[in-house]
Amino acid sequence: MSAEHQHPTPSQYWKIAGILAVITAIEVALFYIDRELELGALNAWMLIALSAMKFVMVIGWFMHLRYEKGLVSRFFAAGFGLAIGVYAIVLAALGVIVIRGG
Amino acid sequence: MTDVAHVEPVHEEHESTGVPTLKLGMWIFLSSEFLFFGALISNYLLYSNRAGFEGLYPAEIYDIPFTSVSSFVLLMSSLTMVLAHNALSRGDQHGTRTWLFATAALGAVFLGGQVFEFTEFIVNYGMKLTSNPAASAFYVLTGFHGIHVAIGVFLLLSLWGISHRRGGLSEKSGLNVEMVGLYWHFVDIIWIVIFTVVYLISLPPA
Repeated sequence: MSAEHQHPTPSQYWKIAGILAVITAIEVALFYIDRELELGALNAWMLIALSAMKFVMVIGWFMHLRYEKGLVSRFFAAGFGLAIGVYAIVLAALGVIVIRGG
Repeated sequence: MTDVAHVEPVHEEHESTGVPTLKLGMWIFLSSEFLFFGALISNYLLYSNRAGFEGLYPAEIYDIPFTSVSSFVLLMSSLTMVLAHNALSRGDQHGTRTWLFATAALGAVFLGGQVFEFTEFIVNYGMKLTSNPAASAFYVLTGFHGIHVAIGVFLLLSLWGISHRRGGLSEKSGLNVEMVGLYWHFVDIIWIVIFTVVYLISLPPA
């Protein structure tokens, strides 16, 4: 059976988009909550976690990475991991505090 | 009415890797784009809250409600893109054209929002590309993302035009829809990161 047959149906795509929209709404709400309560680093980490969820959902379901062969995932992860690693080192070396507060 | 003329079954040419070379190449290209945008995001993080620059910092003048709507529009364009691909896989040429056009339209709305935002920042707030390093980093990052979106809109309209002219997309064009889709979703995930890191978390100097 080809991977094509395992792809989500249009109604499932709509549900995924709905979840993405809700997560975006939560992110924006957190931005304003932080203005009032000054959550600091906690707010930043929650926003990053929510962003990561959206990131994974789009890659996994919309880009169909979860249905692709392992080779594709490895190539993609290698580029992403390399970028994260390289720039984390650069930013750390330059003394940049990426997430403020706390 | 659903137009199913000119529908051809999609037979992907599999190479020794088990993945069509064109598709694997696209994934590798997108993977390399992480390094490109990573550099621009790092550059922004480096300067966005560094004190001592003259003029306004981007984080002082962000219009979060407006950018949130833009982000929502781009996010939903990923939905229409995947629906276009799904319609093509079912042989629904009319549906494919409709969703391709919807995706291009949403992309154009996002670009319009970015032009509006830049105009506001430059005209009303006087924050230009050369105002200070933080402003430069902001414009370069979001500008390059906007260029990627514009290229995506062009590719989408090209596919839509080809489909319109020929009455449907061929087997080869079908794979092209998937490639343009991968590119489009990638542009979306880059914006997911930019929206969070640049707009929601970023703070001006204390």
